[in-house]
Amino acid sequence: MLPLIARRLIQLPFIVLAVYTITFALAWLIPGNPLENPEGRRPAPEIVAAMEQQYNLDDPFDFYFSYLGKASGISWALGYSDEPFDLGPSLKQPDWTVNEILMDGVPVSLVLGFTSILIATALGLGAGIIGGLRPNSSADMASQSIALIGISLPSFVTGATLLIVFAAWLKWFPVGGWGGPADLVLPAITLSLPFAAYISRLVRFGMLEQMATDHIRTARAKGLSEAGVATRHALKNAFLPVLSYLGPATAAALTGSFVVEKVFAVPGIGQHFVDGVLSKDLTLIMGVVLVYSTLLVLFNLAVDVLYNWVDPRIQLG
Amino acid sequence: MIRLLAPFLALLAAIIVAMLLDRPAPRAEVVVAQSSDCFTLDPQRMSYTQDLRMARSLYEGLVRVDSETTEILPAVAESWTCSEDGRTWTFKLRRNARWSNGDPVTAHDFIYSWRRGMIPETAADYSNFFYGIVGAKEFLKWRTQQAGAYAKGSVQTPEAASRLLDEAWAHFDETVGLEAPDDHTLVVTLKEPIAYFLEICAFSVLSPVHPPTVERFISLNPRTGLLEQDHGWTKPGIHVGNGPYQLARWRYKRDLRIERNPHYWDQDLISADSVEIRCIQDPNTTALAFQAGTVDWVTDLLTDYRADMATQSEQYLDTHAERIDTLVTEGRSLDEALASLPEPGPGERRDVHVVPAFGTFYFSLNCRETLANGKPNPLADPGVRRALVLAIDKQRIIDRVLRTGERVANTLVPPGSIIGYESPDGLGFDPERARKELEAAGWSIREGDTRATNESGEAFPAIDLLYSTNNPRYRDMGLAMRDMWSSHLGLETVTRSMDSKAYKEDLKKGNFMVARGGWFGDYGDPTTFLDMSHSDDRNNDRGYKSPEFDAMLLKASLERDPAERLRILQDTERFLVEEAMPFLPVYHYSMTYMFDPTSLRGISRNQRLEQNYWMLQPVADVPVN
Repeated sequence: MLPLIARRLIQLPFIVLAVYTITFALAWLIPGNPLENPEGRRPAPEIVAAMEQQYNLDDPFDFYFSYLGKASGISWALGYSDEPFDLGPSLKQPDWTVNEILMDGVPVSLVLGFTSILIATALGLGAGIIGGLRPNSSADMASQSIALIGISLPSFVTGATLLIVFAAWLKWFPVGGWGGPADLVLPAITLSLPFAAYISRLVRFGMLEQMATDHIRTARAKGLSEAGVATRHALKNAFLPVLSYLGPATAAALTGSFVVEKVFAVPGIGQHFVDGVLSKDLTLIMGVVLVYSTLLVLFNLAVDVLYNWVDPRIQLG
Repeated sequence: MIRLLAPFLALLAAIIVAMLLDRPAPRAEVVVAQSSDCFTLDPQRMSYTQDLRMARSLYEGLVRVDSETTEILPAVAESWTCSEDGRTWTFKLRRNARWSNGDPVTAHDFIYSWRRGMIPETAADYSNFFYGIVGAKEFLKWRTQQAGAYAKGSVQTPEAASRLLDEAWAHFDETVGLEAPDDHTLVVTLKEPIAYFLEICAFSVLSPVHPPTVERFISLNPRTGLLEQDHGWTKPGIHVGNGPYQLARWRYKRDLRIERNPHYWDQDLISADSVEIRCIQDPNTTALAFQAGTVDWVTDLLTDYRADMATQSEQYLDTHAERIDTLVTEGRSLDEALASLPEPGPGERRDVHVVPAFGTFYFSLNCRETLANGKPNPLADPGVRRALVLAIDKQRIIDRVLRTGERVANTLVPPGSIIGYESPDGLGFDPERARKELEAAGWSIREGDTRATNESGEAFPAIDLLYSTNNPRYRDMGLAMRDMWSSHLGLETVTRSMDSKAYKEDLKKGNFMVARGGWFGDYGDPTTFLDMSHSDDRNNDRGYKSPEFDAMLLKASLERDPAERLRILQDTERFLVEEAMPFLPVYHYSMTYMFDPTSLRGISRNQRLEQNYWMLQPVADVPVN
């Protein structure tokens, strides 16, 4: 276990560096100058030149290395800058540093992403167990049909529908804000639906398979109740594929939430990142990518460790 | 099983803790929805409408514009005089003007702030607003060269950079026409008289900032010799302003809250004690948030179905037209009149308001001799440009494509927007004359042909019509124009769409024949629309260079009689929109607001649309939760 963690942690900076380099090359190629507004007045050439110099925008290599140095804390360790992990000021919103933007936005995205994974797991398990125990029953048909819809419909459709029905008509939930638990419900459900659908299919299939095995027959022969058989013996094994799916699913929920963030006006990082790309806000793009790739590598590691802890039979290489 | 559940329970607990840490604040008295956040709260760096609107609440300049009458009112300056030759302005500042920390507002604060706007390091989009002041433009260039020489030189130490800066400030004091004989007197010397100088002074970029607060976040880069400005001072708790409101909260692209500034000198000006600006990007969510009562005023309704909403609003106005007329003649405001009417019936609404704005949508016509690909540009001939303009039925575009009640534009300056200025007629829709203009320019549809050709039989090159993809209206308008040019003039058009960044690059390079564009006025003078066609102007995307037009602008600027000056400007605009045609004006912008007149007042309908948060007034008690 410890060698696994150590090896992954050593790999981490190289993975992040590769992601940084590729993203930087792509972002640099976006046409346009981030210091100019797409509409309206043009600043004087002297001013654009002074700004390009300040932000190292006049030379890609200069920008690449100085940004990497500041962001990784190396410049700070060597005494060149005052602050470790300085991701620079946003080029488009000059009043904000990327660090401030991430401090505000990352917790929001994490809360939304993790909540939706929890909901997805609960919904998926429920539907999957029903389906696995009573295959082809009407309850199974219904839950599988809903799962199919959950996978197929894009989140801007489900999101807008939920908003209109539950916020505008029924007025059960608020709209256009973020802060209280009530604001979390609709976006988290919207984001969770595709994951819930996938999980329910995994569980249903696992349960079907498990219920036909020898150890379930033995458990039944011992006189265990059907519920006990299902939860204690069948589900435990049927859940393992779900656990391995949750790693990438969490990653997808954290990075793929920008549509949901937009529809529900959630001030998360996904939306800021897309805005950053559209306006070629290089510091914001690079900052988000660095933080996200680090987080994702760490989450994947955490899921692997958990996997091992839940089922010690599994040996991770 | 416990092992299986444990991680999920831990996650749930973490989410609950995170939610408890992020508790919503009580609702502000008025909540405003905006599709984008303020870009900056540094007045010298501003250029977006929503930033300037916020600046008028957080800062106060020498003078301000009355939102309803567009007259100039005293603000920090209680009085002012102008010398006989129109070049020296003396402002007397009121002694009770205070910063939000209690410090007095002085003339030195203004000089400090204006100097910020003139140094390259501030990156002011509007640095040219200071250029009328003696020495301002020269100082910006001088400072750029000074720092450039330093960066290339051999000595780059913190001490040397600091000496360089002292030298720059000394040069500024010597050469730039700004003086403060005492704390409450500001003397500004202009290069030439500027008839609209007070209008410029009312513009938020000329608002003062609090020097000690801003200085805390400035450092000097010993490598480049330039100042580096960190904007940490625009954050709540640190920010100090001199406007009616102070900054209470600002979270990135989420919300911004302002509250009454207890040190502001004119407390009676302020209606609502707190205003929150919420950033909601998705237009449909914005509309739903308004319907649910989360927000009270939507400043820019952009839903695809806003045309239908506008129709419903028109329907309501039609139903009650007579009653509204009577009430308005009796001296009530339109909003008061609307509020006193019965509830809207089915298919009607009174919470959507299409208001005219101080801007014009146009297509830019490329006036350069050659195109970016090196080929000759047929549009270099003003006759061809006139033909293109005359062949467009703008009313049809407005009725069929836009459907939100815009006004046809034949001029750049929206008629009636500037006191004392009478707009020229411009060119309307006249396909007959369009054909004649094109023929006179050497292009006509000959017998048995459907396309316009010249005498040697060459067809008119296909018109390269450029637009950006950020609004589907641009494409629809482009297609409508393509059909009109084809049927009225026999010209072929190829529309070309680009992402807005790439579009802007092509615009700058002159790589287009016709390109969509638009302009909003900054201050109440026709030059705010006309200056961009000056040969040397940075925003002259059309490559229009005319000594004749430049001379007319100069003549107007030298004229001391205000009425005569406006008349000269009318001639100048007439020349631009009837003869030279670097533009094809299509419509004057309007904004679609959402607010319920029975619960919110104080939104101006004057087309300058200088909205101020201190004017917003909840009519009934808005439920505070």
